[in-house]
This record gives sequence, C-alpha cells and structure tokens, in this order.
Amino acid sequence: MKPIDIPPEQLAAEMAEYSRKLGHGLTNLLNAQEVDTGVTPRQAVYCEDKLTLYRYQGVDEGWRNPVPLLIVYALVNRPYMTDIQEDRSTLRNLLVQGQDIYLIDWGYPDDADAGLTLDDYINGYIDRCVDQVCEASGQQQINMLGICQGGVFSLCYTALHQSKVKNLITMVTPVDFQTPGNLLSSWARRIDIDLLVDTLGNVPGELLNWIFLSLKPFTLIGQKYVNMVDLLEDETRLKNFLRMEKWIFDSPDQAGESFRQFVKDFFQNNGLINGGVRLGEWLVELKKITCPLLNIYGEQDHLVPPDASRALRDLTGSSDYSEVAFPGGHIGIYVSSSAQKTIPPAIGRWLNERS
Amino acid sequence: MYNSQMSKQGFWDENLQLLQQEYWRRWSELVRAASGGESALPVDSPWEMSLAHWWQAVSPAVPPVARDFMVRMMEQGRQFFRMADIFTTAAHAAGEEPDWKDLLDRIPTDPFSTSGSVTEAVGDGPTQKVMGFWDLPLHSWERLAMSLLSLSGDLFGNVIPGVPMEVGRFFSVPGTGFSREEQADQQRLLQLLHKYLQALQEYRRFFSRIGRESTARLRDTLDHLAAKGEVIDTARRLYDLWAVTCEEVYIEWVSSADYARINGDLVNSFIAVKRLMSKLLDARLDALNMPTRRELRAVQARMQENRRENRRLCLELEALKRVMAAAPNKSEQPGSAPVKSSHKSPARKKSTPVISAALKNAGTGSNETH
Repeated sequence: MKPIDIPPEQLAAEMAEYSRKLGHGLTNLLNAQEVDTGVTPRQAVYCEDKLTLYRYQGVDEGWRNPVPLLIVYALVNRPYMTDIQEDRSTLRNLLVQGQDIYLIDWGYPDDADAGLTLDDYINGYIDRCVDQVCEASGQQQINMLGICQGGVFSLCYTALHQSKVKNLITMVTPVDFQTPGNLLSSWARRIDIDLLVDTLGNVPGELLNWIFLSLKPFTLIGQKYVNMVDLLEDETRLKNFLRMEKWIFDSPDQAGESFRQFVKDFFQNNGLINGGVRLGEWLVELKKITCPLLNIYGEQDHLVPPDASRALRDLTGSSDYSEVAFPGGHIGIYVSSSAQKTIPPAIGRWLNERS
Repeated sequence: MYNSQMSKQGFWDENLQLLQQEYWRRWSELVRAASGGESALPVDSPWEMSLAHWWQAVSPAVPPVARDFMVRMMEQGRQFFRMADIFTTAAHAAGEEPDWKDLLDRIPTDPFSTSGSVTEAVGDGPTQKVMGFWDLPLHSWERLAMSLLSLSGDLFGNVIPGVPMEVGRFFSVPGTGFSREEQADQQRLLQLLHKYLQALQEYRRFFSRIGRESTARLRDTLDHLAAKGEVIDTARRLYDLWAVTCEEVYIEWVSSADYARINGDLVNSFIAVKRLMSKLLDARLDALNMPTRRELRAVQARMQENRRENRRLCLELEALKRVMAAAPNKSEQPGSAPVKSSHKSPARKKSTPVISAALKNAGTGSNETH
C-alpha cells in the first residue's frame, strides 16, 4: 500500500479550486473596508496619560449587580479581544449576566512612557481607576477581573489593596512562570533583559509578535493562510478573520522599565512562587489575598499552560477559591462560540452569588 | 492580453479563468509527458507560473493591506502544491509507485555547514521544495531584525555562508594615531557583527537539524499510515500532515535548554550590535550639535520622576483639603466625623508625616496591607 496517492486530476482540481478561491477572494478582500473592532457601546469615564477607563453600556435594563466589575487587561495586545464581534463578545455576555462593567484600556505607550514601572501601573493607574469606579458606583469595593498579564497585575493589586476588592477573577493568568513546557519562560530566561531595554527603551510590539508567532510558526505563519483561502468566499467569515488578524498584529510597544521588571521578576525569578516581587516600597504577598477567587484557565493554552495558572490554588489566603477549566486555548476562551456559552455565565453566576 | 479581456464586473475572475485555461493546457502537456509523450512546453510548475502571471497582472491595483494577505496565501499555496507536485510528478513520470521514501532520504546529512538558509542548504531538488517550509521561522526573525535596524531586505542572509570563527581575531588589532578611539569603536562594531553572524549561523544550523528530524518523522508517519492501509489522496491532506509534523517536531526541539541558549545568543548578540550602532549614531548627532538618544532618555527619566512627584503632591493636597474641610465640623460635632472615607493605598503612603498624622486623626482609615 502506498501512503501517498494523489491522482494528477485530483491535484489539478485542487489547484484550480485554490486559484478560483484566490481570484474570487481578492474581490471580497478589496470590498472588506476597514475592519471594525469593539462592538459594545461604551463611554470613557476617566483618562490619564495614555490610559482610558471605559464603562460599558448594558444591553437591557434588567437586574444589575450593584458591585461594579473592573476588567484589567494585559499591556500586551489590545483589549478589544474581549469584544471582538457582536456574536463573540465576552463583555456583552457579561453585561447580559447583569455585571456593571468597566475596562482599563492602556492605550499605546510611547517614548514618554518608557520610565513607567510596575509600581506606576499597579499602585498608580489601577488604583486610581479603582477609586474612580468606586466613586462612580457609590461602592466601597469593586469586583476585579484580570486577563493574562492583567491577571498578574490584579493579583498584585489585590494583595496590596485587599480592602478595595470584593471578588477577584483571574483568566488565563500565569502564576508559576517556570512550569515545564512554558516556552516563553524558557526563552526569556536567556535574554539579557537589561541590554534589551537599555538599548531599545520601549520594547517594540513587533518584537513581541515575533516571539508569539515563534511559539507555533507553522500554524500561525503558514497553515493559517491556507485555511484563510477557504474563508475568502464568505464575506462574514472573511471579516471575522481580518478582525482576528488585526488584533494579533495590533501590539502596542511595551514601556521599557515595566517590561524589564516583568521579565525579571516573573519570567526569570518566578516571583509569585518564590516571593520577592516589589512594587515601589511594597512587597507582594499572595497570602494577603483573602477575598473569594475564581481562576479560569484554558486546557489547551499554549501561552499560559494550565499548570502555570493552577499554581494559584495554594498560594493565596482565600478560603473561597474555585477554578474553571475551559477546553480551549488562550484566545478561544474569549472568541470561540463554546466559550460564549460557558465562560460569561460562569463568571456571572459566581459574582452574583457573592456580591 | 489581460487588459483586453477584462470587464469592470469580473476583472479578477475573468483573468483568472484565462490563466486557468492556460494552466490546464500546461497540465495536460505535463501528463502527456509523464506518459512518455513529448511536451512542447516547459513543465516546471505550470500552476505556479500561471499564478505568478495572474498576480503580476492584478497586484498593482491591490491595496497594500490586501496585497500582504494575498502574498501570504499565495506563498503558502505554493508550498502546499509543491509538496504534492513532487510526489505525484515523480510517481507518475516513472509510471510506478511513488518513491516517497527515496525523496525524503535525499535530504543531505549535514546541509548547513556553510549555507545561508534551509532552502539553499538542501539544494535545488525536490527535497529543497519540501524543506523550503522551514524557512518560515528564519524569515520571521530576519524581517524583525532588519526592521529593528531600520533596514530593508536580508542584509545578513548573503553574508552568513562560511563565517570563519578566526575572522574575529582580525578585529582585535589595536588602533593607532589621532583616530584611535574611532578605530576602536569600528573594530568593536565588527566584532559584535561577527558574533551576531555566528549566532545566526548556529540558529540556522539548529533549524536545519529540526528540518531533518521533521522529514524523518514524516517518513515514520507515512510508514504508519501505509501499515494501517490509509492513503493520503489530496494535496491538502499532505500539506496539513507536513505542517502538523513540522510543528510537533519544532515544539519538541525548541523546548530544550539548548534552543533557549541559541535563541538567547541570537537576540542578545543582535541587540548588542544595535546598541553600539546607536552609540555611534549618538556620537555623530552630538558632533552636529543635535539632540542624542542618550540625552532624550535622561529627559524622559526626569520627566517620569516629575510625574510621580506631581501625582504625590496632588494626592497630598487633596488629603489636606479633606482634613481642612473636616476640621470645623469635627470641632462642632465631636464624634460624628463626616469625613468621606479615603481609600488609602500604598501609592498614597508617601505622604509627609504631618499629613499622615492628620489623616489618621481624621479617621480616614489605616493601610491594611502593611
């Protein structure tokens, strides 16, 4: 038995079909217009430097959780991933669950922000956003949802300001940065981060893109574009693909000092496990987190392996710790149709029971 | 030819149809030649040729964003069909079963001793087309590196073959005379460049080893499929299998400590080049009495410190105003303390002792974390 038997007529037919799709798809690409992202209505309620704090407007006037939910996104990539299109919006589905949502958009740091430290971000920007949300809602405490690197920030923030956080949710958040199979961590440990930041100042988003694409180059640089040819004829699917593509490459530069500290403290020294993370004068101790904590991770997450997230379960002082394992990856947890049906309702239920 | 045939409505499709007809004609020639007949046309990748002609005709009208996507899709399409092409053409030309094992075995055992890329290293045969897929990660890096240096093209791609290790010694000869320091800087730059090229060479060698391992893995997978009686009968399945195999092997290899070192050396040595280039550029700017990067950094650092200081002062001022506003009420109604609760945070702990004491007296709460 020969394992490869592609008749010439089959090959010719596939080639013709590929060409036909390319030709037809080009017309659709030209008609695709500007890709829109971020679909839920929102209002800017606070601005500072490059940061904007948004409040999202509810889709109905039903019951609303009186405790507002502040979403802290990562500095890497843009937060519209959580609101990428109408039928795939984590934010919209959280609104449906009755949450009063605020989100920090970090904007695009430039050279003027190169000196921002993690202390500036966490004890500065986030703390002031929390105060703004408290003031706007008339509440003394908020619920906080941290995403990826934003989850790390949320953990640090809650450890230092526990009285302001009623419930904490972390999504695809690395805690143990040195679990086996964590490629990013393995690579980051051999980078001379001082040389990098001293030379480049802010770290270009393009460099981060290269690193992320290097995690799965054949899928992300190769196979994806062959698959895209199949989508070209369907204008809706093509637009959805283009939105994702825009998000993937829409990578803000990283403020140099923050990047330096993040790589050193977390990737290189695994500070949430080994201790020693300092923000300004204060030492971060996860045991000081005593509020209810929901930890959500992706079982197929190639950026933040499940073990890296699950490490949180024994590290905090919370007596109300829960986990949700989503059968998908780092991005699918926000954009897949199955995630839309499971993740926001799980968060909504968990928060509503505790607010 | 193309312009005369086009209409406003069906420009892309009609041109493509013409090219498809051309393609089918060439394909028929190919099959005839494979069956022992003579072909009047060159039979090398007729599909690629027709696609290239079509793209040449339409690309000027395509905006850059769409052009980028199309180029990627076409490039991957080429990879996709090249694989199928070499297996089917070889098989049907010989009129016997595909000798796929032989094709995979032709990959050289040490292809990267002097070569600049995976594709070059493997040569110009069918295996070259298979291994071309392995240029993807390398191209990614090269694009990034050139972008960080604000250069275009592949500056180092043609320099890499045969960078002898001992060349670096020539860059250590001490400079003399009035321009000694300048000579030393230039020598240092050459040393760093040499080090980067060595790191790049090692990086490429590593990828060639992964490439070879991928072909071995593909061979095993095909063996396994043959044993189970399964047949890959479409080009797409073959491409997907190759992509999955490459990714699988890649993940295994780049998870190693060896790769972390090689990758680290590549990035660090490149950044070292960039750092010295910036320093030399700064020296030029300084000589022209223009602002330098170093000065700009110093200004940025001071500005950041001022921002922090301003923020601290504003917070203290607000706290002081609250205390002042609360004081008369407190004296009139002892114990009522109608002071708005303040969320005192670590960021606000840098108040002066006087203010801190005032805040404490005003019942604004204590810091719970420290």
